[in-house]
Amino acid sequence: MNKKQQFEKLLSGELHSTVLFKPILMHFAARFNKTTYGKLASDYKVLVESNTRCMEYFDLDTVSLISDPYRETSAFGARIEFIPEGVPKCLNKVIQNEEDAKNLVIPDIYNCERTRDRISGAAYYQKLLKGTVPVGGWIEGPLAEACDLAGVSEMLMNLMCDPDYSNLIMDKCMIVAREFAKAQINEGCDYIGIGDAICSQIDASTYDFYVKDRHKELVDHIHSLGAKAKLHICGNIEHLLPAISSLNVDIIDLDWQVDLHEARKILGDNVVIKGNINPVIIQEATSQHLESLAKELVQQMQGQKFILSGGCEIGVNTPITNLMKLAEISTKTKPINL
Amino acid sequence: MNEIIEKLTTCIEFGKINQKSPFPPSMRGEVGADELTKQALEEGIKPTEILEQGLIPGMNAVGLKFSQGKVFVPEMLMAAKAMSTALVHLKPYFQSGEVKRKGTFIIGTVFGDLHDIGKNLVAMTVEGAGWEVIDLGVDVKAETFLDTLEKYPDSTVGISALLTTTMANMESVVKMLKEKHPSTKILVGGAPLNTEFSNKIGADFYCRDPQGAVAYLNNL
Repeated sequence: MNKKQQFEKLLSGELHSTVLFKPILMHFAARFNKTTYGKLASDYKVLVESNTRCMEYFDLDTVSLISDPYRETSAFGARIEFIPEGVPKCLNKVIQNEEDAKNLVIPDIYNCERTRDRISGAAYYQKLLKGTVPVGGWIEGPLAEACDLAGVSEMLMNLMCDPDYSNLIMDKCMIVAREFAKAQINEGCDYIGIGDAICSQIDASTYDFYVKDRHKELVDHIHSLGAKAKLHICGNIEHLLPAISSLNVDIIDLDWQVDLHEARKILGDNVVIKGNINPVIIQEATSQHLESLAKELVQQMQGQKFILSGGCEIGVNTPITNLMKLAEISTKTKPINL
Repeated sequence: MNEIIEKLTTCIEFGKINQKSPFPPSMRGEVGADELTKQALEEGIKPTEILEQGLIPGMNAVGLKFSQGKVFVPEMLMAAKAMSTALVHLKPYFQSGEVKRKGTFIIGTVFGDLHDIGKNLVAMTVEGAGWEVIDLGVDVKAETFLDTLEKYPDSTVGISALLTTTMANMESVVKMLKEKHPSTKILVGGAPLNTEFSNKIGADFYCRDPQGAVAYLNNL
């Protein structure tokens, strides 16, 4: 059984005691591969090779195309600066008023450098891994992308004051999100992560009013194309879990603030929960302390659909031995023939 | 208490900026913080009373609800916007010295980090609590914090970081500021931080939320 078959079995509920391992790696993957975050974010070959190297070394169970929030934002017209050892910087707000939103042109994702780069990454993974390892694509969720285009504070206040304007922006983001997901699936992605980080900062009724149906639409769209859907929202989303339980996502990333036991009760048994050790602890703790925490977590979640991970991105300064410790704990749950 | 002052507190707490603003829906069409502050001044209510009995209690109320998870960032932003709209009318009284600030608070997101939402919330809440706020923005270098502190030597400093990858940068900023200004109090905050980390890098206080910053500053 290869990693892809193993992943499929996890999702279908046929793996009962195996805990897979897939932390979110971006800057760490670049550093591990002796390159920079700037290069990883701007060159699909560097991204794919860095992640593949991490996959091999840490025995990760999937690989991903995640890099930064500004692929689609760039396609919409934002100027992006790549920082060697930092998250790419968005240099301008594409939407400053309602006219900008109305005039915003839907980009052709195949003709924009940064979206095309990620699509090429999906194809490159297939070339290197030959379909044996599940590959995760990535799109920005509608609210996160709207915030990238209009500014976080501005967009969050728009939600309170101007539903038409807010919906106009998010509707345009949805068109690109759907197309971008499709392009990555066409190039072999097995699942698509929907990153809507900012949603933890809005209340449940605002999520229901603006975002929930859009998330459902994306999940259904991804399913209709034959792939699985993962939802990633940074921070504490306990207040959103009842709404999220109806989205039919296959995998949900839960950050360290979320109580997994409570989350499982709300989300049901069918969804794969991925999480959720505090990345700061993964970075700062001794490997003995980390081992103890991870063992406790695995014990709690074993027998459920579960992927061991940090709550969010692994910090660049995380000791290799700490990440290896998590890998070892996952490996011990796997059948010997893997 | 004066009815206008009471209404003003409600407007700040619920983010009612002015009569045109559709938020909150339950107050649609009513006058907001903008009109009420103007009216209060016209009726001869002292600016200090407007600030201390009207505006600050409103910000405190919404800040407390935010700490308790009863309201979220958009509601806080609306309250802060209502507050800043009201403060525009009080600006001449701050300049003349008739209304005094509690002190000066210098805030910025640490270098390498471009996130501003947490820093903005703290800045707005602290300003709403009666402090003068000097917001240095995002990606702020240690030297910029230091230069600003030298210009306003009695200030308190707040440093924000959202990422595990950038929180490590706080240590060098704290070290540089403490070397030159050992008595300056430094607050740190942001999603990946905790008290242990704050202690480790030599900061004076870890702010879990904006209201925590206000409580700390008010006790200085």
